[in-house]
Amino acid sequence: MGWAQRMKRALFTRGGVHPEPRKVSSIMKIFPGPNPEQVIIPLSQHIGAPCEPVVEIGDEVLVGQKIGDSAEYVSAPVHSSVSGEVTGIKKYPHPGGHDMLAIQITSDHLDRPSPDLQPVAEPLELAPGEIRVRVREGGIVGMGGAGFPTHVKLDTPADKSIEVMIVNGAECEPYLTGDYRVMLENSEQVLMGAKIAQRALGADRIVVGVEHVFPDVIRVMREAGGPFGIEVVSLPCRYPQGAEKSLIKSIAGREVPTGGLPRDVGASVSNVQTCYAVYDLFYNGRPLTDRVLTVAGDGIAGTANLRVKIGTTVSDVIDYCGGMVGEPGKVILGGPMMGVAQYTTGVPVIKTTSGIIVLRADTMLVEEPGHFTCIRCGRCVKRCPMNLMPYQMASYADIGDWDALERFDLEECMECGCCAYICPTKNPLVQLIKVGKDGLARRRRKMDSLVGTGDGRG
Amino acid sequence: MAAGRFTLAVSPHLHQKGQTIERGMTDVLIALTPAGIVAMIVFGMNAFYVMLVSVLTACLTEVVMRWVLGRKHTLRDLSAVLTGVLFAFLLPATTPLWVVAVGAFLAVGVAKELFGGLGRNIFNPALFARVALMVSPLWLYITKFPRPFFYRTVGFFTPVSVAINNEVAGRVVYRGLFGSVYPDVVTAATPLSLLKSGKMLATTISGPTPVGSTWVTVAGRPTFWAQFLGVHSGSLGEVSVLALAIGACWLLYRRTIDWRIPAGIFGAFLLVTLVTWNYPVFSLLGGGLWLGAFFMATDWVTSPMTRRGKWIYGVGIGLTIALIRLWSPLPEGVAIAILQWNVLTLLIDRYVAEPRFGEVGRSWLNRLPPYPKPGKAEPDKPVPAN
Repeated sequence: MGWAQRMKRALFTRGGVHPEPRKVSSIMKIFPGPNPEQVIIPLSQHIGAPCEPVVEIGDEVLVGQKIGDSAEYVSAPVHSSVSGEVTGIKKYPHPGGHDMLAIQITSDHLDRPSPDLQPVAEPLELAPGEIRVRVREGGIVGMGGAGFPTHVKLDTPADKSIEVMIVNGAECEPYLTGDYRVMLENSEQVLMGAKIAQRALGADRIVVGVEHVFPDVIRVMREAGGPFGIEVVSLPCRYPQGAEKSLIKSIAGREVPTGGLPRDVGASVSNVQTCYAVYDLFYNGRPLTDRVLTVAGDGIAGTANLRVKIGTTVSDVIDYCGGMVGEPGKVILGGPMMGVAQYTTGVPVIKTTSGIIVLRADTMLVEEPGHFTCIRCGRCVKRCPMNLMPYQMASYADIGDWDALERFDLEECMECGCCAYICPTKNPLVQLIKVGKDGLARRRRKMDSLVGTGDGRG
Repeated sequence: MAAGRFTLAVSPHLHQKGQTIERGMTDVLIALTPAGIVAMIVFGMNAFYVMLVSVLTACLTEVVMRWVLGRKHTLRDLSAVLTGVLFAFLLPATTPLWVVAVGAFLAVGVAKELFGGLGRNIFNPALFARVALMVSPLWLYITKFPRPFFYRTVGFFTPVSVAINNEVAGRVVYRGLFGSVYPDVVTAATPLSLLKSGKMLATTISGPTPVGSTWVTVAGRPTFWAQFLGVHSGSLGEVSVLALAIGACWLLYRRTIDWRIPAGIFGAFLLVTLVTWNYPVFSLLGGGLWLGAFFMATDWVTSPMTRRGKWIYGVGIGLTIALIRLWSPLPEGVAIAILQWNVLTLLIDRYVAEPRFGEVGRSWLNRLPPYPKPGKAEPDKPVPAN
């Protein structure tokens, strides 16, 4: 980078940080994951109502058979990822941190497929409503991390029109390379899945956003998407580029209004792997039973991109990759910036698990700062992609001043962690903001129960 | 795998390395080095002694005050060292060293530690101490600026004689403890006091520097090059614009400071000086404007956090400096202007917010609902019976 560009960046950029990429696994092909003895499939792997089990202990299940479903609209069914016998329906550890109801299936290692879902001959001829029904049956949710049910996202309201469907190939978290490998190896499949989603959305065009540090992916995707008129946009490389709102700002130049949805600015964002899952469902008749994730970190022997069956426990994956090295420090599901540290490796891989990062105890700690008080350097304000005031939110949450906290748009914070990453005093800003969100929610619930107006504002 | 072996923490699990407070303070110290070297060249060992005593007193005060207040000492973050250097830069080289020590104590002990330590102080400590000395009986000691290249050393206990009445000759008699008379210190008016006293065109300066040379014009005021390189009288750090500019470039390159504050200060100040045509170049190059704009006003703790707030703060300081210099009896107003706006920083951060991402109808002020007023709360509604 030239000095002029460096100076410009120093003076005028706003929002986002540049963590060290550490994407050593980007050269590794996607490899099939372990074949576990047992899988634990949580009934809540998405945003929305959790599923109810539709099988009982002792039932025989096949690969792709529906084992949990919900009558709610904002929900997605779960399917068995192995064939075998249901051996337990109870609470198991969940990557979210709480124990959740899950179905344990003991595999017979035969992987007999279920005949429930069949490939569609001409998916692009289907009516949009039919596509949405099939996407729901396939249990497809957003695989970037949030896990919003895809059929809800593909349902465009009558008063809105989607101009651009964005395929999110900006994998901005360090370590993670799953989306990168999927785009490189399955570029045509991803784009065919995106075409199906575009038909359901009624979007005018498809734009793929890829960070400029991956020229090979940009070239491959341009070759694959050229015949379909699909644009591939090279994006600046900064975290959080892959966040929905930042991506829409970068590609369409529009800001999603506060408290609004991407459809309010005529955009819809889908992850690369979601598009691949849509392709897999319509062309191969397979529901969402596996996903590509990255296993990386200095605390694990083998680094790999694996296509792992959903429900495989993390300990199975870690053993498959050669086990841990050194004293184990943290096991993180997801990326290191937004992922959740786990207390046990008994948690299963779910639909939104984009990576398993194992950090060693001796290298994961940063140097202890000589000073712990906020010194008002202003970096958190400067780096916040949502232009919030992290230091004020954190300090008000720390003292529990909920009245003052109401003044800040705490709901706008997506907990990307830029503020805590950049903080020179290493203040736990994200943690305090989470405390603030929780406190506000509790306060609102309490006021609802006392006053009963329903909107929580008394 | 057994549970309970792993570390649990809230994301993010990565933190930026190297960008610590120590690093920021070191950057400012590096940026101040050229100005320090120029001060030692122009004012000799006096400058070095002043800086040394200031830094040592600041560190000692920090240790003692934190011990008295029952806190862990934080010498490691180098903020005491930086405060000491900055305070020394605000003093003339002939300041008796005990006055330096008193000022450094005021800076660290009162302006910083009594407010709660680094991060909680309202005022810039160095400026606070300087202005506190200015309004105290010690003002005599810090308002007599030696002529450049006057290398006579001043000791620790040299009290200035009360009768500084030989201003005409530009000489100050320092008298020792037991009546011993120290050699005269040859003082000179600083460029801005010349400007204020209306002597810009008079030839009142006589002394070792030949009039009409590279450094002093025939009219008696310092030339452009004297101001740029630092060969004129003034306090330690403010004399050389070149050295301060080099340091400012380093700070901007390292992103230790935000460019908006100095830009606001210089822009507003230049605008007023150009409109009133009050020697724009001369006043721009003189009187600690550069030191204040790049090293004092940009202090992390006492400047606003938001971009809008930084513009308000910078422009406000620039206008205040111009107002003080033009229409007040003080020759220069950088210190007082920055201290005033340090107080207003709290108000700016309270009311001026960043425009939210996707905010409809960008507003300049924070439009969010204000705090509920006590006594105005809604009456409790009865709980509905089931």
